[in-house]
Amino acid sequence: MRVLKPVELIVVASEKGRVTVKYPYQEPLVTSDFRGAIRIDASKCIGCGACVKACPPNALELLESPDRLVIRYFVGRCIFCWRCVDVCPVKAVVGTREFELATDRVEDLFNYTVHRRAECRECGSGFATRRMVEYVTEKSAVSEYYANECPECRKAKVLKAAARRRGGV
Amino acid sequence: MPGVEEYVRLAQERGGKWVAHGDTVHLVVDPSDLRPIADKIFNEYGASFRTCVGTDERPLNNHFSITHLFTDDRSGLYIALKSYLDPDNPTAPSIADVVPAADWCELEAWDMLGIRFEGRRLERLVLPYWWPEGVHPLRKEFDYKSRPDVSLARSERVALRKEVGTVPLGPYHPALHEPEYFELYVKGERVVDVRYRGFHVHRGIEKLAESRMNYQQVNFLAERICGICGFEHSTCYALAVEKAAGVDVPERAQFIRSIVLEVERLHSHLLLLGVAFHLLGYDAGFMHMWRVRERTMVLAEMLTGSRKTYGINLVGGVRRDINEEKKSKVLSELGGLVKDFKRVVEIAVSAPNVKRRLTGTGILPKEDARRLGVEGPVARASGIDKDARRDLPYAAYKYASFRVPVYTEGDNMARVLVRVEEVFESVSIIEQLLDKLPKGPIMAEKVEIPPGRVGVQVVEAPRGGDIHYVLTGDGRPYRWRVRAPTYANIPALKVMLRDQRLADAPITIASIDPCFSCTDRVVVVRDDGVVERLEVGASW
Repeated sequence: MRVLKPVELIVVASEKGRVTVKYPYQEPLVTSDFRGAIRIDASKCIGCGACVKACPPNALELLESPDRLVIRYFVGRCIFCWRCVDVCPVKAVVGTREFELATDRVEDLFNYTVHRRAECRECGSGFATRRMVEYVTEKSAVSEYYANECPECRKAKVLKAAARRRGGV
Repeated sequence: MPGVEEYVRLAQERGGKWVAHGDTVHLVVDPSDLRPIADKIFNEYGASFRTCVGTDERPLNNHFSITHLFTDDRSGLYIALKSYLDPDNPTAPSIADVVPAADWCELEAWDMLGIRFEGRRLERLVLPYWWPEGVHPLRKEFDYKSRPDVSLARSERVALRKEVGTVPLGPYHPALHEPEYFELYVKGERVVDVRYRGFHVHRGIEKLAESRMNYQQVNFLAERICGICGFEHSTCYALAVEKAAGVDVPERAQFIRSIVLEVERLHSHLLLLGVAFHLLGYDAGFMHMWRVRERTMVLAEMLTGSRKTYGINLVGGVRRDINEEKKSKVLSELGGLVKDFKRVVEIAVSAPNVKRRLTGTGILPKEDARRLGVEGPVARASGIDKDARRDLPYAAYKYASFRVPVYTEGDNMARVLVRVEEVFESVSIIEQLLDKLPKGPIMAEKVEIPPGRVGVQVVEAPRGGDIHYVLTGDGRPYRWRVRAPTYANIPALKVMLRDQRLADAPITIASIDPCFSCTDRVVVVRDDGVVERLEVGASW
């Protein structure tokens, strides 16, 4: 009987039948728990950059200019870890189950979330983002007075005030 | 059985300093005392040598340092034997003659940090041959983005021994499709010697972590060290940092780590068994083994969100919980899986071609195994009873009871059977831990990592013990050293392959379940035996 043991595999094979899925003509292979690519909801995003800081492979990047702040998501580098989903303070980053991302146009792999800079009421230069200023003012009433000033002007004001208190030295 | 006092005495006798912290004994001695102390720890006390770590500590204390890491598997102790070296001309005595397992890591410290070892031959191991002399990338003054000028004479001589025939195996392994190069020297059908040339795809992961990532990001980088046992690396890193910083990790997180570690062991062992059958020309067994493996992949996806590179570890805990629904799903799936596996594997190992070609080939005697410090199933198949899950308990393994299978034959069959038995043990561990899963949070409330602390951790990966050494720094590890088990197992292939038939070489190499990293290279062998490697997409 022991000699015939290997033949038993035929029985196993006939019991199990065909296991290969006819992908992509059948249902996707991933289960409901799968972590796929992310999507940034531009209407919610405030441009704080928490996701950029948490992202291990630098798939999310912050591109800054005087009047614009852009969060660039490059899915080609994404490792689908969803750290950005965890850290987003406004739940603007949502995870999807998408994984079929192959394309022949490289632009398809990039996603841009564009923010306009807030304008400083003192010097007029751009800082943070408008949304972020709104978000901060909403969260804390105390900051409203300072919120429309850029950090540089705020620093200068504090120094000036301190100097005045010490008798104008 | 030596305890903390014996190890401390080693340093005291020679006027060194020591500190015992948790399960780690740190000894700081004069470089001239390294060799006798290492000799005593390894050969007299019977501790396992894990790896050595060179560190550029000049920005901290104006010294280089070398740390030899041992573990005493009977008393569950880590021993870190450290010496500070001269900043201008770092030189340490080599311990490779008394501790042969230290051969590679000394060469690596020489390559990466320029630490010179006296009393041994120094040669390139990790760095490519065209890398300029005197540039040591792990020194702190070397910027991680810099690309040194390289000479254009990019060729390396192969077929070094003229009196015997040469059979090149690689740089792609016939079974594993990974870049490595074995040069088998043959007389007729017999292999008489073997030369290994590896590290073709050194990715500089340690430098990257030390230069630009933060503590939590490194978890995800660590997971990408290996495509098969990545979770072990990220757990090992997280545990080492937690040990260094004294982070109090919730029990539930540790249980989830252990459960996922065992799921990973299941899929890894099933993968190797399939590959082994494939190499032996038994493709029916290979297909069925991987059919069973697919069920473990779906399990992993359900528990973590990904089939591979689970990405659920952070310093301080885990990111995904296991709820009651998942728990019962896993338990019912495991029952079917283990029945399925048992039936297939019993048929497969009784197939005559599998049996005959595994039995008696690729023998690694126990003494050689101990001397070379081999790890995991390779050690256990050669009669060395060591398993970090039992000897140096971490995560939640102390709450599970399991058997460590040990075989004394040391041949390919023994290495296969060790893995077969471990599959059953892993299933049992998962069931036990799910049953005992405690309630509570899965992430520590506070994770603060002060600089200047040291954490050493061993995690038993499917291939053997991973070891991670972390010296904490400012916002990121100051020094992070990783040693994967295959690093310790490859030197043993020299013993296994010698005097074997050439046809058995691929299965013998596969039997250590080697794990190399991947990247693309092209090799051109010219008539005169000179090999040219052409980097695809290289930037210089």
